[in-house]
Amino acid sequence: MRVTRIIHPIINKLKNMLRWPRLGLSLGLAFLLTSCDDLFQYNPNEETLLDRDKDLTAKNIAKISQLPVSDTTRFILMGDSQRWYDECEEFVRSANQQRDISFVLHAGDISDFGLTQEFKWVNEIMTRLKYPYVTVIGNHDIVANGSATYRKMFGPLNYSFAFGHDRFVFVNTNSREYAFDGSVPDIAWLKAQLANNPAHLNTIVVGHVPPFDADFDKNLEKPYTETLAGAPNVKFTLYGHQHRFYEGQFYDDGVNYHLTTSMGARGYMVVSTWKGGYSVERVNF
Amino acid sequence: MKKYLLLVLLLVGIRGMAQEVGLRPRRAWYLPDHLKLQFAGNIGFLSGGPGYVSRNKTLETDLLFGFLPQKYGGDALVTTTLKTTYSPWRIGLRDSYYIRPFSIGAYMSYTFGPQFDTKWPSYYPAGYYWWATAIRPGAYIGGKAGRNVVLNNRRRSFELYYELGTYDLLIISYVQNKSFLKLNDIVSLSLGVKFGFD
Repeated sequence: MRVTRIIHPIINKLKNMLRWPRLGLSLGLAFLLTSCDDLFQYNPNEETLLDRDKDLTAKNIAKISQLPVSDTTRFILMGDSQRWYDECEEFVRSANQQRDISFVLHAGDISDFGLTQEFKWVNEIMTRLKYPYVTVIGNHDIVANGSATYRKMFGPLNYSFAFGHDRFVFVNTNSREYAFDGSVPDIAWLKAQLANNPAHLNTIVVGHVPPFDADFDKNLEKPYTETLAGAPNVKFTLYGHQHRFYEGQFYDDGVNYHLTTSMGARGYMVVSTWKGGYSVERVNF
Repeated sequence: MKKYLLLVLLLVGIRGMAQEVGLRPRRAWYLPDHLKLQFAGNIGFLSGGPGYVSRNKTLETDLLFGFLPQKYGGDALVTTTLKTTYSPWRIGLRDSYYIRPFSIGAYMSYTFGPQFDTKWPSYYPAGYYWWATAIRPGAYIGGKAGRNVVLNNRRRSFELYYELGTYDLLIISYVQNKSFLKLNDIVSLSLGVKFGFD
C-alpha cells in the first residue's frame, strides 16, 4: 500500500516528463524521414530506388507511343551529363524552348561514378523536360554497381522501340568495361534487330562509344560497321562519349556517324527524320 | 593562492581515490577501450566494432565491420571502415551524464566485391578513371551524449552519437554544381551507440 503510494506519483511524473519530448522526438523523426528520402545512406554503391524511379525506359517508351505522329519526327540527342548537373539544368531550359520535339535521347554517361545517387539527380533534372527521354548506357554508367542500377532504373542495356516512320535501336557499345571480351557490342542481337524490320522503317542505331573509338572492341569494329551498312534502312547512327560534335561517313559505306557533345561543352543536336531523309542541327546553350 | 592549490590537489586526490575504490585495475593495453554500433553513414546498414580512445578521451579510433542487407540496399554489401573522431569538449551534467557537443572526424571505407576495384585492371589506360571504387574516404561532424556508470563493480560508459557526413565523390559533385546541388543533397545522417570500458 505504502509502496504504491510512493511509486505512483513518481511514475506519473516520469510519464509527464516523457510525453512531450517523446511527441517532439517522433514528430521530428517523422519530419526528417518524410522530408528527405535520402536522409540515411548505407553505401555509396547501394541500389535503392523508389518505385517512381524504376523501369524508366518502359515508362518513357509508353509515353512516347502516345505522342502524335507526323511526317517528320524531331528529337533531341544529348549526352555525357556526368557530373555536369548545373549545365544539364541549362540544357533542359534550352531544350524546352525548341519547337515540335517529340522526345530526347541521352547518349550515355548519365553518371560519372556509376552511383545510384547520380542517376537519380540526372533523372530529377531530365524529368523537367517537356518531353519523355530515353537513354543508352555509357561506360561510366557501368562502373561499380552502375550497370545493375541502370538495369533497375532504366531497363535492358540493349533495346529498341518504333515511333512513326522510325525504329530506334539502343546498343551497349562500351567494350572496354567488359575487358574487350567479344561480348559487347552484342553483334548477334544487333543483326537480329536490324533484320526484324518488316515495315521497312528508318532504323537509327544509338550507342555511347562510336566504333572508331579506342574504347570500342577493335575485333568487333568491322563486324559492327558492316552490320549497320548491310541493313538497307540504316542511313545514320548516333553516339556520344568524345565530348565533341563530330560527324562523317567514316567507313565509306553510306552510313553517316554523328556524335553529340557533352553537357560540359554545352551542346546538343536536334535531329529531324522523314521518309527518305534526315537533317541534323547543332545547338549550343 | 597556495590554499586554493591545496584544495584543488585535495579534491583531485579524493576524486582519484574514489575512482580506485572497489574497482578493478586497468585492463591490458591491447584490449579495446570501447565497442560501437552504428546505423547508416555510408559504411553499412549496421556497422560495429572495437575502438581505442586517447588518454584524454577526445580522440577515438574505431574499426567497424558493416553489412548492408539486399533488402535495404538493393545489393548485399560488406564494408570495413577505419574512422577517427575528435571530440574536443566535454560538458559534465548531473548524475554523471555528460555531452560532447561537437565532434569532427574522417573515415576510410573498403567495400568488398568483384565489381569494386582498388587498382583498375590492366585493360584500362593509366588514369582512365581516377578514383578507386572499393575505397571511399569521407568526413563528418556530429555530437554525442553519454553517461558513466558502474556495472558489476566495473566502470563503464554509454554514449549515443549522431554524425552528418559525406564522402569524396559527393563533395566533388557538390563543388562543381552548386546551383543544382544543395548541401543536404550530399550530407546524410548516421546514428550510433558506444559502450565504453573506461
